[in-house]
Amino acid sequence: MVNKQVRYEALVKALHGDLYRYGYWLTHDKQVAEDLVQETFLRAWRALDSLKDEKAAKSWLITILRRENARRFERKRFEMSEYDEANIMDTQSPSNEQDIENQWLRDKIAKLPPEYSEPLVLQVLGGYSGEDIANMLNLNKNTVMTRLFRARNQLKDALKKEPEQVMFIYE
Amino acid sequence: MNNKTTSNHNITEININKSSTTGNSTAKTKATKNNISEAMPDEKLDKKLLQAMKVPVADDLYNKLMLRQTFTNPQQKKRKSRIHLALAASVAIFASLTVYYLQFSTSYTNLGDYALAHVYHEQDVFSNSDTNRVSLTSLNKKMTTFNGSFTQSMGELISADYCRFGGIKSLHLVYKGLTDNVTVFIVPKDEHLAFTQKFSDNNLQGESLSFAKSNVIVIADKNESLSQWQHNINDNITWSI
Repeated sequence: MVNKQVRYEALVKALHGDLYRYGYWLTHDKQVAEDLVQETFLRAWRALDSLKDEKAAKSWLITILRRENARRFERKRFEMSEYDEANIMDTQSPSNEQDIENQWLRDKIAKLPPEYSEPLVLQVLGGYSGEDIANMLNLNKNTVMTRLFRARNQLKDALKKEPEQVMFIYE
Repeated sequence: MNNKTTSNHNITEININKSSTTGNSTAKTKATKNNISEAMPDEKLDKKLLQAMKVPVADDLYNKLMLRQTFTNPQQKKRKSRIHLALAASVAIFASLTVYYLQFSTSYTNLGDYALAHVYHEQDVFSNSDTNRVSLTSLNKKMTTFNGSFTQSMGELISADYCRFGGIKSLHLVYKGLTDNVTVFIVPKDEHLAFTQKFSDNNLQGESLSFAKSNVIVIADKNESLSQWQHNINDNITWSI
């Protein structure tokens, strides 16, 4: 029991940030992301004994979180709509150029179709390979690679279209 | 999932992407600004993306998670087991009430009603196509309780068992009939169940024979000739006292 508690604490400490961010990019909503993370770790606690390989913990948690997110849509399908533009933007006012740039990029990432943004987040933020992502999302590896490529291209196109913003990125 | 291999994968994938983007950029030669953005290595873009994707995490999220696990979880477990216990208890109460009403209820005041209810209650237990057969000897062994015996078999006996008939220990016989089971009850006479000679409902018909100390009730569907059964019983059954 004590051992389980220790494992759980270590798991939460190490991975709650990544998981929250992943949830955020999945839902574009801080509160929902937080709820998802809570729900995910609660389930993880109950099923902790089934986690044999600590190295697989992150993808295990991500899988739980994705399932939780899907369940959220089952529960309230009527609320399923295009995400609110206001939710995407950070409410805190940007203090420097770096923040402005991040903000601007966040907006662009959020505007990607979810089937593009999800693998991209998994790759960039999660550090997963195309094969890992393909396994996690239940997709063909080639599909994942195509989507990653297109996601990057779309972001680049977006960068081109707003030259005054791009200035921040290219100094 | 080794971290090292993961990052290696990433590098190769980035390289793939890089080569395709450079191919793309050579095809398009537009304004210088565009060239700059397209020539930008993906590593740089990815660094920017990573920075942007690292949205700030609420400081108290970790504490919230730990708190929720410590408090909510044991409580939930407790509640669950209580629900299970409550469920088990209700099921037990319901089951015992059902059994009580079906077996010991005296809400039926005459033999006929009770016999019909009893047959319907055990309708699913026996089927006319059952292949079990009870021998005459074992039937007569059971009949000794009622001081009676059959001289010869009246047909194919599927089952012979004691049962509670309005709280009275009785013998419940199931014979193979023409289209469905024929049920015969041997019930010691008792005051609280009034004797009914003939009774029926939409599906079943029944007739009772009164002997010195017991009633014999035959119940069958409407294809069966009850008078034939009555006749057989009368011919076959002997009472020792």
